[in-house]
Amino acid sequence: MGSRWHQGRLSETDVRIDFSIDGGLAAFPGLAKPVTIECDALPVAERTALRDLVDRAGLFEQRARASAHAPPDARRYTIAVDDGGRCGRVTVAEPIADPALRDLVATLRTHARAVRAKR
Amino acid sequence: MPKAARRVHCGCTILPPYLLRRIAAHGTQAQREAALDTLATDQTLRLARATHELLESGAHRNLLSVPVSARQRTVYDAQHREALPGHAVRREGSAAIGDVDANEAYDGLGATFDFFADVYDRNSIDDEGLHLDATVHYGRRYDNAFWNGQQMVFGDGDGDLFNRFTISLDVIAHELTHGVTGDEARLVYLGQAGALNESVSDVFGSLVKQHSRGERADEADWLIGEGLFTRKVNGVALRSMKAPGTAFDDSLLGRDPQPATMDGFVHTSADNGGVHTNSGIPNHAFYLAATALGGHAWEKAGRIWYETVRDKRLKPTATFRQFARFTASNASQLFGKVERQAVVAAWEAVGIKAA
Repeated sequence: MGSRWHQGRLSETDVRIDFSIDGGLAAFPGLAKPVTIECDALPVAERTALRDLVDRAGLFEQRARASAHAPPDARRYTIAVDDGGRCGRVTVAEPIADPALRDLVATLRTHARAVRAKR
Repeated sequence: MPKAARRVHCGCTILPPYLLRRIAAHGTQAQREAALDTLATDQTLRLARATHELLESGAHRNLLSVPVSARQRTVYDAQHREALPGHAVRREGSAAIGDVDANEAYDGLGATFDFFADVYDRNSIDDEGLHLDATVHYGRRYDNAFWNGQQMVFGDGDGDLFNRFTISLDVIAHELTHGVTGDEARLVYLGQAGALNESVSDVFGSLVKQHSRGERADEADWLIGEGLFTRKVNGVALRSMKAPGTAFDDSLLGRDPQPATMDGFVHTSADNGGVHTNSGIPNHAFYLAATALGGHAWEKAGRIWYETVRDKRLKPTATFRQFARFTASNASQLFGKVERQAVVAAWEAVGIKAA
């Protein structure tokens, strides 16, 4: 890319995603701790897929129309994306209506599991 | 039309019915016709007013609801997508299918329906025969279950820490009880009221399990979510009503944060103000009351808690103390002094004055 931003897309490098889960059927202190996913540390295919999901979810363009109101036992997710210059942040509750946001959260849950397992 | 028999158009009549009947019996032809006409209209209005008042009070359910009878269950398969309700795979009366999750959900819905019907004469979640729907296989490696206000949602678990979420009957009943609470007390899902909301779901979740097993209070395990953890987890269940704070202590999940008494009340903004944490306090109070009262816990302690959830004095923002005082009051009204004392003592043991 000639410039750091290209049509509002996420940077190719230095992307960091903070992901936290609140609520759910029970209180698990270990799962409630925020997880940081360093995209640069991911394999290329995973990094590209995650970047596309963030773009589709429109976190930077504030296109994400998310409800943070969770029914009983549903979880609330907070995603904060920082690519070195911009920050995008959204909190969304289950069940997630927006398909792009839903896919992003599902993928982040998988990455969060891997990060927690390495702790 | 005689002045005396005129009706004002405000939903009320000026003359009481006995005077109208007198005019209808002894007045002139025109007066009698007017009085009879007014009486007929008045009767309709009175019925309309009475119906309105009945609907406002909520007491209509006892009159208008159909008798507790048929369960109407439908289990859907989300086929690992996060879209509801999914594809129907088992309907009421159909035979078991080759899907453990779907069958467990179906049986759990039935056990919960039967419990509320048989024990408390309640016609489903809303006491009006609500059909019970559940979706299984929600999402991929989805490690949660919830009630979305209309139906149950179950994940398969991640297979690493959590098994399928249909595995525990008390979890299924817990979720459905959120529907009962939402229909009756409407306890807000925040702070102490939220912890009460959670506790009520644990109470009846456990009671549904005890009822299905025919257990007395002293025989029950008082665990919520036993079987949900895989063998990798150091823990027996999500929560323990008998010994809050002891259900798990795991390197990944952390340690069960539930307090058993008000001394350990957790002030936090997380999890809607600690609804799944501080629920340990009313949970333990129920356990103490139920074991003190003895026998089948759903008969006395459960009845007292159930009537408290239905108690019109209970506000959506109720505190632990307010809830406790209503349980003491209902224990007295439903049973007597001994039961009231047991309930008050149970609350006092967790640090809450109910007297």
